[in-house]
Amino acid sequence: MSAGFYPKLALSGIKKNSRLYTPYILTCTGMVLMYYIISALSMSPTVAALRGGDTIMSFLQFGCGVIAVFSLIFLFYTNSFLSRRRKKEFGLYNILGMGKLNIARILFWETVISGGGSIIAGGILGIALSKFAELALINIMHEDINFTLSVSWRSLLNAAGLYCIIFLLIFLNTLRHIHASKPIELLHSENTGEKPPKANWIVGILGAVILGMAYYIAVTIGNPLEALVWFFIAVIMVIIGTYMLFIAGSVLFCRILQKRRRYYYNPRHFVSVSSMVYRMKRNGAGLASICILATMVLVMISATASLYFGEEDALKSRYPMDINFEAQMESIEAMDEANIESMRKEAESICSDYGAIQQNLHDYRRASVAGMIKEGILETDVSVVNEFELMSFNNVYQVYFIPLSDYNRMMNENETLDDGQVLIYTIRRDYDENFLNISGGNSFTVKRHLDSFIGSGSAAMNIIPSMFVIVNNLQTDLEGLIGRTAPNGNDMLNLSWIYEFDTQIEPEQQTLLNNEIHERFRQIQKSEDTLGIRYSYSESLAENRSSFYATFGGLFFLGILLSIVFIFAAVLIIYYKQVSEGYEDESRFEIMQKVGMTRKEIRKSINSQLLTVFFMPLITAGIHLCFAFPIIQKLLMMFSLNNTALFAWTTVISFALFAVLYTIVYKITSNAYFTIVSGAKEE
Amino acid sequence: MSILEVSGLKKIYTTRFGSNKVEALRNVTFSVEEGEYVSIMGESGSGKTTLLNILAALDKPTAGSVKLCQMELTLIKEAAVAAFRRDNLGFVFQDFNLLDTFTLEDNIYLPLVLAGKSYDEMHKRLLPIAKQLGIDDLLKKYPYEVSGGQKQRAAVARALITNPGVILADEPTGALDSRSTDELLQLFSEINKNGQTILMVTHSVKAASHANRILFIRDGEVFHQIYRGGSTNEQLYQKISDTLTLLATGGDRQ
Repeated sequence: MSAGFYPKLALSGIKKNSRLYTPYILTCTGMVLMYYIISALSMSPTVAALRGGDTIMSFLQFGCGVIAVFSLIFLFYTNSFLSRRRKKEFGLYNILGMGKLNIARILFWETVISGGGSIIAGGILGIALSKFAELALINIMHEDINFTLSVSWRSLLNAAGLYCIIFLLIFLNTLRHIHASKPIELLHSENTGEKPPKANWIVGILGAVILGMAYYIAVTIGNPLEALVWFFIAVIMVIIGTYMLFIAGSVLFCRILQKRRRYYYNPRHFVSVSSMVYRMKRNGAGLASICILATMVLVMISATASLYFGEEDALKSRYPMDINFEAQMESIEAMDEANIESMRKEAESICSDYGAIQQNLHDYRRASVAGMIKEGILETDVSVVNEFELMSFNNVYQVYFIPLSDYNRMMNENETLDDGQVLIYTIRRDYDENFLNISGGNSFTVKRHLDSFIGSGSAAMNIIPSMFVIVNNLQTDLEGLIGRTAPNGNDMLNLSWIYEFDTQIEPEQQTLLNNEIHERFRQIQKSEDTLGIRYSYSESLAENRSSFYATFGGLFFLGILLSIVFIFAAVLIIYYKQVSEGYEDESRFEIMQKVGMTRKEIRKSINSQLLTVFFMPLITAGIHLCFAFPIIQKLLMMFSLNNTALFAWTTVISFALFAVLYTIVYKITSNAYFTIVSGAKEE
Repeated sequence: MSILEVSGLKKIYTTRFGSNKVEALRNVTFSVEEGEYVSIMGESGSGKTTLLNILAALDKPTAGSVKLCQMELTLIKEAAVAAFRRDNLGFVFQDFNLLDTFTLEDNIYLPLVLAGKSYDEMHKRLLPIAKQLGIDDLLKKYPYEVSGGQKQRAAVARALITNPGVILADEPTGALDSRSTDELLQLFSEINKNGQTILMVTHSVKAASHANRILFIRDGEVFHQIYRGGSTNEQLYQKISDTLTLLATGGDRQ
């Protein structure tokens, strides 16, 4: 035998099965390409030079890991389709006198050709496209940077190494299959009799129950922190439920239809329903995977897109003003008007140095404490609170006490309060009680529930609900809390002076001004007369903008890249499902014709089956998305994003785009299916 | 009255690029009376399958006419062919052609469901047939769960249930063991006695020897035919063997 015999045989095998091999090689190429791009970006000096580049790079490294794991699972999965179809060929070779060693050599060459080809192609395309990806990333981050075409050899080496290992594993796995089977089995592997699917009531109902519970959790989640705790549990439940439902539930459903004779023995339903049972049994897992992938893509894209498009909103709610200064005070005595006035003077003088004109000034004192409010009683001592209740974060509030005088000054009001009266304003949760009792302290009656109050950056940052309590006098009204220490040794009550304002000067100046304020108060704090400052800091909107862009832009970018990969995967599962079904249905198609079905009837029946099978995952993904909406919305709050309308729109648009894409894929793959099914009969 | 009249049937296949022409049927003429049991024999490549495909309206002849149940097959429109096939023909195939997604019962119902019959009517028709064929306790099973002989009996039931004018059987014993073959042929004889017209294409001398008349096809023409007359199956078997020997040694028509 000449040296080129095996490579030639392998090559012709690939060519003959191009309908199966082309998408496989394309997928491998796509995976290599994606891996290279993400890996190259995660090490790119251009990205490193960006403001917030570190954040982006750590996201991208995470993305690399996701793609590596996903590639391994997914390439194994698609390869199993291939080897199932090829078994017959190998059986024939075996019977014609080839030993298993010879077959292994063919397989080896096949792996070398398909794997090597896709690594090379993926690498080249990756180098070509990584620049576009970099441009896109820079654009998403609103940055402007010069660039040159570069090749990241390290990423290339990583990608080649990783995929070589994956292909090697796939090769070994196929060898294992070939080795374990007998030639005659190989020859007939495609037409082994299939058991009629049994309706599995337990699994089907369990699936529905688990899914229902996950939905219930998602809908009833009260606040972001709970959302964080329950989100992953809900996700896992949805995944398990979806698989169970698709695998068992769909068979169950068809079986119920079959029991209804009127419906079943009808020319329109007879063939569809009975073959659907088989399709479902064989494809339940595949369909569930498509559904999960689709849901993942939709959740990822809609969430990251709304973060990205809502980044200014989020920025504004996190940093309400250009300059946000907070000084934490030593004692309640340091909170008196005179002391605050000297700090105010200090800040104002710095402002006038920079020519800043203060606008939208928030200038107030506040005493804050975290605690649980239950039936109108504020418990600040965590040690007496039931641990389980605390874990559920159900009644936990961040409470801010603000003196009435500061409130009146800021809101331009002349509100008066009697002793023991308070005004209350809450965010993230309503407070319905008409009184508030501090455990171990004063009791208040609520004079009024406020409809609006100033925005607060720290409240926006907090994932738990916030409550603003306007009291007559901090010192007398908070007697019960002042001086108490929390279990961690700090004062229970946090006393601070807030000074936030817009400046009407250039962003660069704002940053300088901010730094000046920051530094000056740090010095005061270290000096002899500390003005009672324990700790102070000043944050500027301008300075934080780029880090917000880096975080949100980076997430959006990664969301897009991963979505592409997952969509790729979903499309491929669909394609292989259709093609393998096509081969199976070929003979069935012929029989039905002989028994007296017209081509048109057959085509119609098949079409309706395809439509049902195809769009079920999409519809289910849509339902998943609807139920995921409230929980994700709560999670987005943690990123200070409160714009529900924006999130709703990005979700709807993502779904619409995805549906269009999906339909196109359906058209393409169902054509491939019909070509296979009718191909044999046409000649 | 003849139920099937074939005259001057000709079928020429053209290869894909039109250069080579293969004459599968040259000039086939014969007729089948109602209630007859006819076997068609011939070597591979003699044109048997082509003939059967044309009779089944799965293929169109190049020339000639086929009249089945007083209908000229070549004139039926494409759309109506499937319905015609369903109503007037019953098929039994070598490899059974049962759909593995259906139980035997549903497989048998298939042509009736397509014709839009109600379940009750189908069920009423099925019971006597299933009993006669001895598959009444297998109806809920799937094809892969039963033996070849049982599958073929289900296929026969599917052919019978529409009360077709003619049953076309294509090598029905080809995939069966000898016991199942005997049972099936016995069954065919019984069905024929009840008045069912059967047309069977076969290689098997044994299968052919159950028929009332045997047609021999060679090179696209009806070469010879044997009538049973008063012969027993064994005598007919001998006659067929002799004829086949003659055909094989290339003798001319006596």
